[in-house]
Amino acid sequence: MAKKVTFDYDLIVIGSGAGGSAAATLAARAGKKVAIVEADTFGGDSPNWSDVPTKALLHAAQLYDEARHGARFGLRSSTLGYNYPSLRTWKELAVQRTGAGGNKNYYEKEGIATFTGVAHFLTPHEISVNRRHLSASHFLVATGSHWVAPNIQGLDDVPYLTPRTILEAMRPPKSLYIIGAGTVGVEIAQLMAIFGTKVYLCDIASRILPSEDEEVGTLMERVLREQKGVTSLTQTRTLSVIKDGIGKRVTYSRGGVEKSVKVDEVLIATGRMPSVDLGLENASVSYTPKGISVDAYLQTSARHIFAAGDVLGHNNHTHTALLESQIAAHNFIHPKSKLSPDYTATPRLTFTHPGIASVGLSEDDCIKRDLAINKAIAPLNIIARSNTSDFRDGFAKIITDKRGVILGATIVAPHASEIIHELTLAVKYGLTASEVASTPHAFLSWSEAVRVAASKLVR
Amino acid sequence: MSAKAIDIIKREGRRPSESFQREKLHASIRAACLSVRSPEGVADTTATNVCNAVIIWLETKPEVTSADLRRKATETLESFHPEAAYLYKHHRLVI
Repeated sequence: MAKKVTFDYDLIVIGSGAGGSAAATLAARAGKKVAIVEADTFGGDSPNWSDVPTKALLHAAQLYDEARHGARFGLRSSTLGYNYPSLRTWKELAVQRTGAGGNKNYYEKEGIATFTGVAHFLTPHEISVNRRHLSASHFLVATGSHWVAPNIQGLDDVPYLTPRTILEAMRPPKSLYIIGAGTVGVEIAQLMAIFGTKVYLCDIASRILPSEDEEVGTLMERVLREQKGVTSLTQTRTLSVIKDGIGKRVTYSRGGVEKSVKVDEVLIATGRMPSVDLGLENASVSYTPKGISVDAYLQTSARHIFAAGDVLGHNNHTHTALLESQIAAHNFIHPKSKLSPDYTATPRLTFTHPGIASVGLSEDDCIKRDLAINKAIAPLNIIARSNTSDFRDGFAKIITDKRGVILGATIVAPHASEIIHELTLAVKYGLTASEVASTPHAFLSWSEAVRVAASKLVR
Repeated sequence: MSAKAIDIIKREGRRPSESFQREKLHASIRAACLSVRSPEGVADTTATNVCNAVIIWLETKPEVTSADLRRKATETLESFHPEAAYLYKHHRLVI
């Protein structure tokens, strides 16, 4: 009789961020023997270094900015100021209060073995963590992603900031050159501009926030320029960065003309790459530098190894990673009734002021797919709330197919991240613009813009 | 540039592990370069560059397999000397 192979664990989760933590907890609660390995801080990137600290600082910054401009409401705010070390303390408190940051004890209470160190596959069923060999019948790879610097001359020799390191700065720089005007770049541009930094926001694309609809980029570019003094350098290629005194001199090319600017700091926010350097070849897992390939059930080419979160390379949202983690756990626990993640109604958020939120297909997506669509935009200035809040920069945009079924939507408004969930539900369950328009929307709520946009699509 | 103590697991653990030796890696890369008729000086420089890149990669890894080492060395060698990299990668198959 063949000898039965025994393993140390039923499941080893590599990475304790959103992609790993839910699966580890669910598997442990289902009675499986689980271990979790973390190379950095337990909790992963989102609670420790990205979403939570950035949003905590953005909340304080937006409060400060709103109060500073309160004179129009009769508020006296001329003596208003800020203390950056106290803001950092607030940010650290917010991180601590989430309970997800550095939460090693949480896993131990759930009966999950924890290991700190870089995991490296030695064989398909064995990893090495600090020379300790751990084996398991199944694995979940949730190593996330990391910021990568573009190939720019001189960048190797000059210290630069990333969206992670800028949060640890002792004070905002006097001037900042941001390379990459995606969600994170724009959030940091607004954050630093509120605290008085002169910001240059550079991107090779023709508009900022290139993955959103054109109206969003145009509007945010104007808002950042007029209200915060941000210089947007779209269609700009950064050529070189050199040290210049205590600052840096950045040379860029725009419209065929080379120019240079001296700044205190340079921040790289051009994009993240999946962290796939963990000996996946030794486990026969197929991957590319753009991420690990998985099937519909999040199984890799080695069927006993699942992957979830940013390491898949298709999406960088914490809520998507969490969904994938839950599905990977389900498929591991119930191999006979496997589930697939449904990405159709995943909201995409940018926490600026006004906030930006979108769901489903963008207009560009529809054009690429050659879909026949109808669209309607309701500008915020036709909503009663814009009068009482004295805020008019924004809109609600809804895209439907020819039958009126909502395919996608974009909201640019205060509290956009809350408003979008109505449309998320509509996209997920195939509601029509008529159904949304006939749903009561409370007077003096920003959500009235959604009703107006939907009404425009009703024939 | 020298590496901290790193264990190399050989043949999926079927042969005893040994410590990483820069000289051994250097000699193998150099031999691959010389096999494709690189001048000795070029072979030496290439081997040094590859060893430096591999050691940087090994910084966060206390233990890797010999296959990992070969793969990383090949990947780096490809940018310096593609022919030598091909030979280095497939030397077991080349008679």
